[in-house]
Amino acid sequence: MSSPVLRRVVRRETHSPRTVAMIVAVVLVILALVYVGVEIVLNLLGQPALLLGPAASLAWVVGLPTEVPAGASIAIGAVIAVLGVVLVLLAITPGRLSKQHLMLGDSAVVADNGVIASALAQRISDDSGLPRDQVRVGVGHRVVDVTVSPAVGVPLDEARVRSVVDSELESYRLAARKRTSVRVERPRDQEERA
Amino acid sequence: MNNTNRAVNRTILLILGLVLVAIGGGIVTSAVWPAAAETWTNIGSGAEGWAQQAWDATVIAGTGLTWVAVAALAALLVLVVLLIMLVVRSIHGRRRTPLRASGAESDLGRVTVTEGFASDALKNALGERDEILSARVTANDIKHEPVLHISVTPRQNTSPVQVAETVERLVANLGVLTGQKLTAYISVHAGLRAKLAHDQRRLS
Repeated sequence: MSSPVLRRVVRRETHSPRTVAMIVAVVLVILALVYVGVEIVLNLLGQPALLLGPAASLAWVVGLPTEVPAGASIAIGAVIAVLGVVLVLLAITPGRLSKQHLMLGDSAVVADNGVIASALAQRISDDSGLPRDQVRVGVGHRVVDVTVSPAVGVPLDEARVRSVVDSELESYRLAARKRTSVRVERPRDQEERA
Repeated sequence: MNNTNRAVNRTILLILGLVLVAIGGGIVTSAVWPAAAETWTNIGSGAEGWAQQAWDATVIAGTGLTWVAVAALAALLVLVVLLIMLVVRSIHGRRRTPLRASGAESDLGRVTVTEGFASDALKNALGERDEILSARVTANDIKHEPVLHISVTPRQNTSPVQVAETVERLVANLGVLTGQKLTAYISVHAGLRAKLAHDQRRLS
C-alpha cells in the first residue's frame, strides 16, 4: 500500500468530511438571510414587520451596549462567540473517525475500531481460557485498553495477557502506534474496596 | 468514498466561525468596556444615519421603493442562490464511475470487465464464506484511476487480518482472470448486523 491513490483513499476514509456540519451551518445562514429579505420586502410593501422592521433592528443593534442590560448583552455575545469557536474547531481539528488503517499487503485496509477490539478480545479469551464475556477491550486512536475480570480463584498470568495483546496488535500492523494497558479486575478486590 | 471538496467545507466553517467569534467578542467587549461601547455607538449611529440618508435619497419616483432596498434584496438573493448551490453540490458530491478494465488483447478479441461483473464475482465469492456476513463492492474513480472498494462486515470476533487476506486473495484471483492488476480498498465494518449474528462460526 504505497500508491498515492490509496493513500488518498485511506486519508479520506479515516477522517470526517465535515459535510454535515457545513450543510447545517450554511442552511442556518440561508434561513437568516431569507428572514432579512422578508423583513425588507414587508417594509417596502408597508406591511407590519414579522418581528422587527429593518430600521428598528438596526437601531436595536446600535443600542445594544447602552440600552440593553449588560448581563443580557454579555450572554448574547458569549453564546454567539461560543458557536463561532465550535465552528472554528470543527474547521481545524482533524476529525478522525473511529477507524484504523492496517498496513497489510498491496491493498488499503481500514477496519472499524470495534472490529479490532472484538478480534483482540477473542484472541485473549482463546489464549487464556477465560470466557469471552470476561474480557473487555476498548480501542481508541492512541490507546488499547484491555480489562479482564476472571472469576474468584481463577489464576491469570497478566504478563502473558500483555504479550498476547502486543503480538496480536503487531500482526494487525496498525499505522498508528498504540499504548496498551492491561488491567485485571478481581471480584474479591471489588468486595474489599466496597 | 466520494469526491466532496473537503477543503471548501472546512474553509466555510472557518469563515463562519471567525465571523461569529468577531460578532460575539464585539458584543461582549462593548458590554464590559465603556470605550468600546462608545465606539460601537458612534459607528452604529453613523451607519444608521447613512442608511436613512441613502434610503431617502434613492426613492424611486412614484413608488415606495428605493434603490438601496432593491440592491440589498438583489445581494441577498445572489448570496442565497450561491449558498444553495454549495449545499446541493456537496450533496451530489458522490460520483461513481463504472470500472471498465480492458484486459489483454488476443486473437479472439479484447476482454472488458465492467463494475457489475467484478462486483458480482467478488460478492458471490465472499458470500460463500461463513465468517463474512455481508459484502458490498463498488468501483470509484480516484485521480483518474479505478479503485475497487470492498466493504465487508464479518462476524464479531473475526480477525481483520484474516478477512483482509481473504478479500485480497479474491481480488488477486479476479485480477489474474481479467488480466489486469486491480487496485483495491478494503473496509472492515462492525455493524449492527455483526452484533446480532452469532459470533462463532456454525459448524457444518
